[in-house]
Amino acid sequence: MKALNMKKSTLLIAFVLLVTSVVQAQVKKGDVLIKNATVITITNGTLENTDVLIRDGKIDKIGKSIKTPRGVEEVDATGKFVMPGILDAHSHIAGTSINEGTSQVTAEVTMEDVVNPMDVSIYRALAGGVTSIHLMHGSANVIGGQNETLKLRYGSTNPDDLRFEGAPRTIKFALGENPTRGGRARGIQPQSRMGVEAMLRNSFSEALVYKKKWDAYRKDKSSKKVAPEYNLRMETLVDILEGEILVHCHSYRADEIYMLLKVFSDFGIEKLTFQHANEAYKVAPELAEFGAGASVFADWWAYKLEVYYSTAYNAAILTKNGVNTSINSDSGELIRHLFHEAAKTQKYGQLSDNEALALITINPAKQLGIDHRVGSIEEGKDGDIAIFEGHPLSTYAIPVMTFVDGVKYFDRDNDVKDQRIYIDPESTIETVQIFDAHSQHRCMEDAEVVNFYDLFNNK
Amino acid sequence: MKKLRKTFFPLLLILPMLFLSANVNAQSDPTAESPATRTYAIQNATIVQAPGNVIEGGTIVIENGLISAVGKNVNIPAYAEIIDGTDLFVYPGFIDGMAYTGAKRPEQPERPRNLFTPDPPNEYAGITPEKHVVDQIVIDDASISSMRKLGFTVSHTVPYGRMLPGSGALVLLTEKEHADLMLLQEDVSLYTQFAGAPGAYPGNTLGIMAKFRDLYRNAELSKQHSEMYASGPAGMERPTRDRTLEAFYPVVAKQKPIFYNANTALEARRAIRLKNELGFNLVIGNLQQGWDLVDAIKNSGTQVFMSLELPEEPKEAKEEDQTEEVKQLEERRMEFYKRYLTQYAEMKKAGVKFGFSTIDASAGKIKKNLKTLLDYGMTEDDLLAALTIDAAELLGINTITGSLEKGKLGNAVITKGAYFADDSQVKYVFVDGDKFDFEVKEKKANGENAAPANAEAIVGTWSYTVMSPEGEQGGKMIIRMEDGFLAGTLTSNDGSPDNDMQNISFRDGELNFEFTIDAGGQSVLVLVSGPVTGNEFDGEATVEQFNVSFPLRATKDEAK
Repeated sequence: MKALNMKKSTLLIAFVLLVTSVVQAQVKKGDVLIKNATVITITNGTLENTDVLIRDGKIDKIGKSIKTPRGVEEVDATGKFVMPGILDAHSHIAGTSINEGTSQVTAEVTMEDVVNPMDVSIYRALAGGVTSIHLMHGSANVIGGQNETLKLRYGSTNPDDLRFEGAPRTIKFALGENPTRGGRARGIQPQSRMGVEAMLRNSFSEALVYKKKWDAYRKDKSSKKVAPEYNLRMETLVDILEGEILVHCHSYRADEIYMLLKVFSDFGIEKLTFQHANEAYKVAPELAEFGAGASVFADWWAYKLEVYYSTAYNAAILTKNGVNTSINSDSGELIRHLFHEAAKTQKYGQLSDNEALALITINPAKQLGIDHRVGSIEEGKDGDIAIFEGHPLSTYAIPVMTFVDGVKYFDRDNDVKDQRIYIDPESTIETVQIFDAHSQHRCMEDAEVVNFYDLFNNK
Repeated sequence: MKKLRKTFFPLLLILPMLFLSANVNAQSDPTAESPATRTYAIQNATIVQAPGNVIEGGTIVIENGLISAVGKNVNIPAYAEIIDGTDLFVYPGFIDGMAYTGAKRPEQPERPRNLFTPDPPNEYAGITPEKHVVDQIVIDDASISSMRKLGFTVSHTVPYGRMLPGSGALVLLTEKEHADLMLLQEDVSLYTQFAGAPGAYPGNTLGIMAKFRDLYRNAELSKQHSEMYASGPAGMERPTRDRTLEAFYPVVAKQKPIFYNANTALEARRAIRLKNELGFNLVIGNLQQGWDLVDAIKNSGTQVFMSLELPEEPKEAKEEDQTEEVKQLEERRMEFYKRYLTQYAEMKKAGVKFGFSTIDASAGKIKKNLKTLLDYGMTEDDLLAALTIDAAELLGINTITGSLEKGKLGNAVITKGAYFADDSQVKYVFVDGDKFDFEVKEKKANGENAAPANAEAIVGTWSYTVMSPEGEQGGKMIIRMEDGFLAGTLTSNDGSPDNDMQNISFRDGELNFEFTIDAGGQSVLVLVSGPVTGNEFDGEATVEQFNVSFPLRATKDEAK
């Protein structure tokens, strides 16, 4: 009888597995026991000589001398540091396109459609301890496209496998020089910062009218009712107004940051993070009062006029003023050492270890609405973990292993050189550069007429 | 964007060197070239009725456009023209799942003055689903005869354009006085591709995906409205006409599939994503990277036409350059080269029924590519099925063509030696019961078609220089004659990969060709044209997408 039951349940499991695999591609979940590490939990201090057990992709147990369950791989992390996987709140890797730069409001487009799971930059990011990125639309438009939060499950060729399942929708906005440059180049609005604000207000007002039309249609009991025109752009703007989409706004200057706070107050939109925000330190109390976050560079500025008035103390000032702050890369290169970027806030602003590391873990997690899943080492959270040789804030820190959902995606001891997933059989074999210029500065890609130097330069 | 990868693109054959077709005028014909009869009997041939179904020493009779008899003991009408089939193999006429065969690329729409880039006119945006490919068909387009010579008798021809160029049609690859007479079925598909409008919305994949959803949802609403209005208009707002949305009605009703030109695995997944969201019937054409898609294709009920364009076999570095690292990289590249080739047999084995599409394949390479697939797991029967009955089933025309059965269309290809054998030759192709004879006027060009002698003049190796804005760049321009067609390659002095010259034509001293470069995922078409004077070519290279031109000059190398 017992044997029969067993058989039944195996069959049942097999059947359930079969059904789920048909319904959606199953994402790999792993089991691992990381032993005897210095565990930087971010939310609950730093624990010495501690084990972290991950079962089926989730952190199951944090404690001392956890017994290794049968079949679970053990990683001896004696003398090593374990921290939550790093999150990059502003990235343009893993996308086949970045901007739909032809229009100044493109709320209807979504980066979800252009995820490229085969981008080797993903592996490079993993090698820097990064486990999740916020793949953002570019900054060519006042209201750009929707972004996509990804887990770096490198190796799959299916974009859906990288999706951070359950992460809230987010959208890109942009203020200042980038959208006005596009406007002037195309002879369309906006050509000035005033035009940017007008465009924002007009767009939301239009969305309210659109919503009213559809509400009236839905309420209408007449059999002769005719549906209004469907508009995916307006649908998205309505979702922003209703708080279903978190706004991440490219911005630099304090005056325009303050402008957006006013616009959002007027339209009752609450969920807002400013990206770059080099002058955010000037309006830090106002940001804190609004509840807006800031995702900034550690020390990157002066690459155009609006970015001159900057300081490396930005992140520290914001943090001390109670603004939820993160440090991002916006680059396929910086993403490989965000822990160094975070460490700069100790030189410029004397942030504590925990405050500095929060800038690349729990804080960006909050800005992306995924802090209940990642950003700290807590029981029940996702098994997204980075292991370092040396303290992650040390100049000598070396990431050695990176896990997503308990699955090891990077291991410095087994670092296969050629990490490409698809290879063009007609490609030439040439010197590979570690630094990939293509992943750099994609913010305005496709937003301008193609540069002929780029087009015909083979170097 | 900085790395310029040059890729091989289709070589559409434009210049017919040999004028090999029979005149099939059925009307009163003062030239007396009309056939005396439309009844043909091929006797004592090896007849492959369908893959795996072979009649040795059989006879097939084609009468008034249809197969009237096929078998061992067949009565041959007295008025039939008899063809001795000894050494001949008869196959069903091939069917091309997606191609531009017979269509002429229209002039690119001019960029309107003061274009409002966020909302350009549909014509400029490339959103013209209300158009029909028949309006682009040129009855004597060289692509028709070159595909027919390979054995293709029916082409699902789709229109040139951008995001939504229009409806495709099933075209008989025959010779008629009017394009209408060549149509087997009109408006069988709505053709779409990931081709953005230059500098206007939708500019790339992001905008295209969103625009597609928007159009589809509005088409659903508009269809619903017009149906409600038709059944009871009183008291209801009158629906306004919108031909763009109306073109989607049969798609929404699942009476007409979307044919998506999706070359890469990522493009195919995007097309499938739209299908899963919106619910239309989807056929993917021109697929080159299908090996990871078997589940996605099967689960979504998507149909597939695989590309007949194959990658070139990679060349290994010279031995002295082969470091351990280079060797490893070459091995992986070779592994992927094989991946592209073995996927056909693997998909077949996994139960994905597919046909072939030649939209990106040059006619000159198709036979070679088919033979390559034989070396990588496809059997002759598999190839034949994809070329005939499977393609017919996917296109819904298997009751009228796709195999040699009584009552089906008189579409057949007849070869000396088995088709896939090395030295086989296509002797006759029957399209719609009309005979095209490839034995007559073989090789030598006739007087009225002086092109070959003329074209020989440009065959050879040229040294070219492009004066592009960032400086000069040069290389060799190698022009060859392949099976009677002009073909060519552009090499680059800086070591970047070779580039196929496409659509090469040489008429009245004017050389024209195109090549495509891939600039970071964006495909950029460069058109080159200019006069040839002696050994000098004074050309101009134009990138229409960006509305710029620059000189491309070449000098023919002295023959050694």
